[in-house]
Amino acid sequence: MYTNTAKTESQARMVLGALANFYHKRWLLRYFIHRQLMRSYQKSILGSVWIILGPFIWVSFLALVFSEMVGLRFRVVEGDETLNFGLYLYCGLLPFTAYSESLTKGATSIRSSSGLVQKVVFPLELLPFTTAVTALVDKFFGVGALMVVLWILEHRLEWTVLLLPLFILPQFLFILGLAYFMAFVGTYVPDISEIFRPIVRGSFFLTPILWPESKIPERLHFLIDLNPLAYLVGTYRDLILHGEIPGMLATLYFSLFSGALFIVSFALFVRFKSRFADLL
Amino acid sequence: MPIISLRGIGKSYKIASGRERLKELVSFGKIQKSQDFWALEDVSFDVEPGTTLGILGRNGAGKSTLLSIISGIVQPTTGTVEVNGRMVALFGVGSGFNPEFTGRDNAMLNGLLLGIERDEMLERFKEIEEFADIGKFMDQPVKTYSSGMRSRLGFAVAVNVKPDVLVLDEVLAVGDAVFKQMGLQKMRELRDAGTTILFVSHSLGMVKSFCDKAILIHKGKLIASGETSETLDRYQALLSSIKAEKNVQSSDEDQQTEYMIEHEEEEDVQGTPGFSENPDLARRRFRHGTGEARIQNVEILDEQHLPVEVTDVNSRVIVRVHAQYMKDVDNSSLSIILRNKNGLDVFSTGTNSESTPIGAREEGERIVVDFAFPLPLKPGDYSVAAYISPPGKGLFLDWIDVAEVFRIDRPEKGRGVRGLVHLPTEVEVHEQDVSQDQKKSSQSA
Repeated sequence: MYTNTAKTESQARMVLGALANFYHKRWLLRYFIHRQLMRSYQKSILGSVWIILGPFIWVSFLALVFSEMVGLRFRVVEGDETLNFGLYLYCGLLPFTAYSESLTKGATSIRSSSGLVQKVVFPLELLPFTTAVTALVDKFFGVGALMVVLWILEHRLEWTVLLLPLFILPQFLFILGLAYFMAFVGTYVPDISEIFRPIVRGSFFLTPILWPESKIPERLHFLIDLNPLAYLVGTYRDLILHGEIPGMLATLYFSLFSGALFIVSFALFVRFKSRFADLL
Repeated sequence: MPIISLRGIGKSYKIASGRERLKELVSFGKIQKSQDFWALEDVSFDVEPGTTLGILGRNGAGKSTLLSIISGIVQPTTGTVEVNGRMVALFGVGSGFNPEFTGRDNAMLNGLLLGIERDEMLERFKEIEEFADIGKFMDQPVKTYSSGMRSRLGFAVAVNVKPDVLVLDEVLAVGDAVFKQMGLQKMRELRDAGTTILFVSHSLGMVKSFCDKAILIHKGKLIASGETSETLDRYQALLSSIKAEKNVQSSDEDQQTEYMIEHEEEEDVQGTPGFSENPDLARRRFRHGTGEARIQNVEILDEQHLPVEVTDVNSRVIVRVHAQYMKDVDNSSLSIILRNKNGLDVFSTGTNSESTPIGAREEGERIVVDFAFPLPLKPGDYSVAAYISPPGKGLFLDWIDVAEVFRIDRPEKGRGVRGLVHLPTEVEVHEQDVSQDQKKSSQSA
């Protein structure tokens, strides 16, 4: 029983309706997340084993390249000479790839599912959500692989890793906000993926992933202070590698920023989603 | 209270390039660059519960837009649709399938997509599996399926979840003859159980025989609505006026109609590959009855008693039914029904109605019954249903819906049969004296 009308509902009703869909359609959501996670491995022989194996190979490779064995120890981690630079790099890459995936995949999340948008009554708000969750779950296995290799190579594990889920919460809001925003814009302007490709690459170099924070001149320090990615990279490294607890003020600012980003993007998405079917 | 009610439904699409759309977006709608194209304009009608509504119109008339608005996929630009019941809409079968997942997973996903709860899907799984009738393929990835199997699975999910309203957009256009017949049979069951069905098909015969109401949409406007036959007449009139405008051949309405129907059948014949495929009856699970007797085989034979799949108008055929009694049965009648491709019962007979009673039979006893008759029928696909029933009790010992299918070919010469059936007719022309006639009329004036 429903009504389909030209009149637009109030924003609050739309948002509440969209949120309710997450409960009512939870099984559908589960299927979609599962599908998205398995997508790239379906055709392989080992299948879902690759979700675990993939990050392992990647982190081992990085560790090996920057190890003494190969003799390519051309980079050392500032302030922690014993730490393998490959692991340091990988740790920074984890939050960065979560961000870049939710941006690029978020932008196409609606367009790539045109069958769902046009052929069935589908709660579209599930699609960017699926993108964001998948991006994060993938990184979860990355953290696991990193810790195992860290323990084997360096024999160290920091207890602060246990706090990571706490800090992933605002990160999830951040990624979710990006995914919804990109889904909304990407549906209206398909070119957005092209626009954002250089932006994503640029943000890699503007964030202290390859270079240490201390290298940046004082007058450019705002690049780190105002960069949510720099906060995330720093947090991951603090918790996993250094055994330190990230600054509480920065965490608060980041959480507020992420929350606001999510609320605005979600509201925008929900407001315009009824027009998506016409745009594809 | 109507189950579906449309009030002033309109839908406009913006014809705009991406750049124009970008300008509009950036200006928050202050710049209006794009032009509006109205796919639907001011459409209002009500559908009473249990109606089977055919939706007619040429390609691009707005039929699919209307159905997407009714099913809530697309928001209308003007007006309101109210639907008082659960709706299941099917736009092309199997579109939401993931080829890497098993049929079972896909059936579940499809059900969830159609808005059915997971618990309910789990409950209905057995029925779905039986209707889809794809055996052990149910647990194989969908990529290994033939297109017919895909359609069967998709259709099975949609019709087995007991919707209040079923929306079907050219769904039976795919699939072989057996699938079409079984799909129609299921749709008839749903209709008889009170389901409201909205049905788009370019097969006018199907609309004619299946729908009790029809609406006609032309260039986005509702131009006729009412009884199926009246709306069909309007549609054919519309088509012929369009043809006449185009100056193609004659504008004679009669010929026009015939051309159309002929054309439609050509399409149907082409669209039924795998016609010779005849699944083993024992495996057929789409049957009901007490099981006191089993119909083991049904054959269509020609006069030389050779099996035929295709026959000619007016040729004689024999429908041979092999049955076995599983219990002692005092009295029973074996009957057959001939149905055309629209599922209409064209002809039915049985041992009792032909005064050839079977009599009492013992457990294990086998009988073979031949029904021989000519086929003065319209060319097309036909199916044979067979059943055994005790007299006057309204129950069945066994019933198989689509036991066998065959086709009557269009004759190479002559007009064939124009209606459903050609009744033996004697024609006599009474010549009248013209002058006498004139006198009579002047006298009476």
